[in-house]
Amino acid sequence: MKRTINLTINEEAFEAEVEPRLLLSYFLRERAGLTGTHIGCVIGECGACTVLLDGRLVKSCLLFAVQADGRKVLTIEGLAKNGALHPIQEAFVQQYGLQCGYCTPGMVLASYSLLRDNLNPTEEEIRKALGGNLCMCTGYVQIVESVKAAAKKLQQS
Amino acid sequence: MVKFDYFEPKSVEQACAFLERHADEAKLIAGGTALLIWMRMMLLNPHVVVSLARIPGFDSISFDPKDGLRIKAGARHRDIELDPAVREHYPLLYETFRKVAQPRIRNMGTIGGNLCQGDPLTDPGASLIAMDAEITLTSSKAKRTLPLEKFFVDYYQTDLRPGEILIEIRVPLPARPLGWAHIKFLPRSQEDFATVGVALVLRGNRNHCEDIRLALNSVAPTILRARKAEEVLRGKEITNDRIRQMAEMAANEIDPMDDNRGSADYKRDVTKVLVRRAAQEALQRMSSTA
Repeated sequence: MKRTINLTINEEAFEAEVEPRLLLSYFLRERAGLTGTHIGCVIGECGACTVLLDGRLVKSCLLFAVQADGRKVLTIEGLAKNGALHPIQEAFVQQYGLQCGYCTPGMVLASYSLLRDNLNPTEEEIRKALGGNLCMCTGYVQIVESVKAAAKKLQQS
Repeated sequence: MVKFDYFEPKSVEQACAFLERHADEAKLIAGGTALLIWMRMMLLNPHVVVSLARIPGFDSISFDPKDGLRIKAGARHRDIELDPAVREHYPLLYETFRKVAQPRIRNMGTIGGNLCQGDPLTDPGASLIAMDAEITLTSSKAKRTLPLEKFFVDYYQTDLRPGEILIEIRVPLPARPLGWAHIKFLPRSQEDFATVGVALVLRGNRNHCEDIRLALNSVAPTILRARKAEEVLRGKEITNDRIRQMAEMAANEIDPMDDNRGSADYKRDVTKVLVRRAAQEALQRMSSTA
């Protein structure tokens, strides 16, 4: 039996009829057309599908879309404002914090969540915050450098 | 994943009624972080999923010095980690919950879901057993309260009966001076399960042990309380020798499995070391707060 859900994605209201078994990650990509949320393992291992739900970092493959009914979702598309990249995104570009880009939306949103609560994280705190994100290209060093650079940018702004 | 119907009852009574009506084909969902994985792997194929997430107050945490800490089953790990009363009065629980998996799991996964899954690899059960926690379960017919340590029956099996819902966890306020320690041994990534997890609570006076509770995870088919090991110290003077004997006893009492976190022998050796360290740490804390 399908259910009607109403949710806010990147400050825009969405209404949709969904099968309860539809995962939020697929809903975001296929129904809301927001393909920035990447789908990797679909069992909560890789972190590529990370989004924020009511301000809390979550893995959208470990949620049914119906669980997000009435709630607010922030995806990677919601970070840039008026075509200008978010300082964290800028830092990832400048520090070569990505190669293939598959893990990047999850990395950026995990960094966003970290830096929102802690503008001056230690390297260990950064590594722990990214502990749920897998990257197969960079070896993580440049990603950690990107987050450090992003923290500096945000401190100054 | 098979198709299912999804319900969002607004009260525990309604949820119990759904469970009774749909008996074997229904599963409860709270945060879903564990259930979804099992459903995707087709290990569970419920035709009805009943969500507890929209029940008002089902995620509340309250503290009263006489009554202790009452955590409703729908509280997320992160809520418990960030609760001021937990941080102030239950440092062992704070230390445990902040180490569970990774924030994005703690942000969704609930304590009720964690306990009812009966996963021997997870951390909260051991620390809650060490803190003498009791749980309350309810169905449309009856309500019962039991010590958490009686709840874990076998590998991924609990004493949860058909139609029952875990509604609350109560943790008494421990007497002081109190020593405690939590060690989660993680040789791989931050969000992995522990290779060995040790939760220890020690109560006493100077070097005399009045009471001790030692619980371990990841080293047996269930999270377990190492009662024989406790007896080595209970009511006695705490010496380095006795701590070593207790650690030996704990290593004999467990029943670990070979897996990708290490062989059974390795886990026994690690348990021996960590139980000793936990006891020393707890003793130090007890002496410094006395």
